[in-house]
Amino acid sequence: MGFWRAILYQSNICNPDGFGRILNYDQTGRVFGQAPIRRHVGARKVNVLSELSVGQSAVLVALDLPETVQNHLMHMGFVPDAEVTAVRRAPAGDPTVYSIDGLEIALRHETADAIRIRPVQSGSTRLETIENMELAEVAR
Amino acid sequence: MSSCCEPPAFEPPAGPQVPGKFRTVALIGPPNSGKSTLFNRLTGLRQKVANYPGVTVEQRMGVMAGVGRDDLTLIDLPGIYSLTPYSEDARVAVEVLAGTMHGTPKPDAVLLVLDSQHLTRQLMLAAPILATGLPTLVLLNMTDLMEQRGGKVDSLQLARELSAPVAQISAVHGTGLNAINLFLNQPGNGTGSHPSLTLPVIGNAASAHTWAAQVSRRTGYRAPLSVEGTQKIDSVLLHRIWGPLLFLAVVIGVFEVVFSIGQPLSDGFGDILARMGDIVRPLLPIGWLQSLVLDGVWKGISSVLVFLPQILLLFLFIGILEDSGYLARAALIADRVMRTIGLNGKAFIPLLSAYACAVPAIMATRTIENKRDRLATILVTPFMTCSARLPVYLLLIAAFIPNTVYLHGILGLRTIVMLGLYVAGFVAAFTTARILKSSILKSSETPFILELPQYRMPTLQSLALRVIDRGRIFMKNAGTVIVGVTMALWVLAHLPVIHTATGTLAAPELASSVIGRLGHFIEPVIAPLGFNWKIGIGLLSSVLAREVMVSTMGTLYGADPSTQALSLQTALHHDMTLGGALALMIFFAFAMQCTSTMAVVKRETNSWKWPIVQFIYMLVLAYGAAFVVNHVTMALLG
Repeated sequence: MGFWRAILYQSNICNPDGFGRILNYDQTGRVFGQAPIRRHVGARKVNVLSELSVGQSAVLVALDLPETVQNHLMHMGFVPDAEVTAVRRAPAGDPTVYSIDGLEIALRHETADAIRIRPVQSGSTRLETIENMELAEVAR
Repeated sequence: MSSCCEPPAFEPPAGPQVPGKFRTVALIGPPNSGKSTLFNRLTGLRQKVANYPGVTVEQRMGVMAGVGRDDLTLIDLPGIYSLTPYSEDARVAVEVLAGTMHGTPKPDAVLLVLDSQHLTRQLMLAAPILATGLPTLVLLNMTDLMEQRGGKVDSLQLARELSAPVAQISAVHGTGLNAINLFLNQPGNGTGSHPSLTLPVIGNAASAHTWAAQVSRRTGYRAPLSVEGTQKIDSVLLHRIWGPLLFLAVVIGVFEVVFSIGQPLSDGFGDILARMGDIVRPLLPIGWLQSLVLDGVWKGISSVLVFLPQILLLFLFIGILEDSGYLARAALIADRVMRTIGLNGKAFIPLLSAYACAVPAIMATRTIENKRDRLATILVTPFMTCSARLPVYLLLIAAFIPNTVYLHGILGLRTIVMLGLYVAGFVAAFTTARILKSSILKSSETPFILELPQYRMPTLQSLALRVIDRGRIFMKNAGTVIVGVTMALWVLAHLPVIHTATGTLAAPELASSVIGRLGHFIEPVIAPLGFNWKIGIGLLSSVLAREVMVSTMGTLYGADPSTQALSLQTALHHDMTLGGALALMIFFAFAMQCTSTMAVVKRETNSWKWPIVQFIYMLVLAYGAAFVVNHVTMALLG
């Protein structure tokens, strides 16, 4: 998990034109889709904002976006540790309206794909949260 | 409409410069926080306000006559999230603040307007603004709304935290504004520094947010409960099925109303205008003066003025859409369609406002972050059916399209033709954008980030002001451009003066007058489209502004003795085929006959290249489409 995250994090920082889609690739240059962190089939894991279903809330972890976009989004309230709720999807299914800080902001799927989240859980670090989720899965 | 939207030139108030006193004050704040509403309050001006982020896209200056001193210049600026500009409109704000904007004085004090309903996030902007060192008054706007919904903030504590004065105001209701007066007249202001303030590192959004969150916690800020209303309305308007259907219903409804209610209004108004002419007729001596005033100028002006009621109705609807907050939702719905042509939903807002006028719409493209997306949007905006095309469409539809109704009177044939013309413009805009975005303006996709404002009930007052302002612009236009053009046309239609057999001087036959000869000279070019020489003259004069077409027709048919007694509709009906009329409408849908639009495109793209390319492209398209429509109609009708 951490490995993929590290790759995901590195790959899009040096984006030459400042804008653009985020390609995630490993050292050999293989290109992955937009969300390579999805793991076990059947496990209900929500790791990026785009996977959040309508009505669900989560806590922001990081934004893996070009710097200008990231900066802009952060000034709109998309900062780490902020709580975000998926409010509704546009009639065509995309973009999705998210509520953050009492404000409604619409993002396209690919942008929300680059925003990492963790479940709402007070007082636990991200790692603990993931471990808890895995334990819960085992228990089930 | 030509010259409809350029702000009037501003003269800064002349007065002795008092040392230590402010001369120029800037309004700064996040988008949609109410800066322009406050600007209008303080200056008594009518800067456009509406309920979506990005209404103001350029600086606007005014003398502070409302509250405060009248020797002060107030600058209204586009909303910004931070001092790192993300789009063109934000760059304007940052440049004015830094004093590097040409023609705008550097502000020596700042009124920071924050929406108190989202204070934590809005405070993020306070840090960089206070760090500029300019004397700043923090204005917590919409405090009445915040308190109604159970929000709370200790503004004294906030002032201590920020080391800057803080005032709670409501720009809409004008409460709490005397604090601005006090701040601006405070002796010794402008020299003070902010000693105790620890500001976060500028540019780092995360630290700015942490700082803002700490400040708002220490000031006991409690955010108001989010309103259920907006959620409920959105669950219908953004519904998977109902959303798009309602969107369509609203659009069709608007046109139905423009016809079913607007047409009788316009007809009545036309009767009044005609009667006014009849009242004046006996007062003028028979001869050239009567002919110039009544058959030339008055016929020309009234043929355009007739459409005033219908245009105002359209503006009333646009006002409701913009003030309620629906416009941002329309952009959200349209994003999916927009992405297929390589643009995003944000470009839909300028395209929609181009239904009123392309000039402010092209200005509004400043909110589009990607330069190539912005240029593509500018280039296709003039295809959207602006209100200046409306008189031409209304005249031709009323003259040529029978008033048949379908579906038990719900949908009229005239409405369908009208909608078809709007769709034609829309399709042309989309196809052109698609071509541009997949060739010369290709670029990587820019993320679509759109803030959805809460719904607000449009106030009767703001709607009335919009409609009145629009009416005034229309009348002013009629009083200047159209009077000038019709007078010139009348003169050209009566030259050269000929000697009659009885030895008196008289006007020539219309066809052999200067204008007639010019018309016949260009006729071969336009004849394949089904246009006669009079239409040709109309097309030439309508380059100044599209509605001039109608006044030109009024003047030319009024100057021709054989059609003088007929109404313009009847005269046209006898002089054109249905194919020619349809071709003329299509020609207007596609051609770029508007000098104001060309001027604004030149200004926004910084070169004559684009407006010229655009003009030629649209003209070629208009000519081709009109040619096809004329010939297809002729073939179908045998």
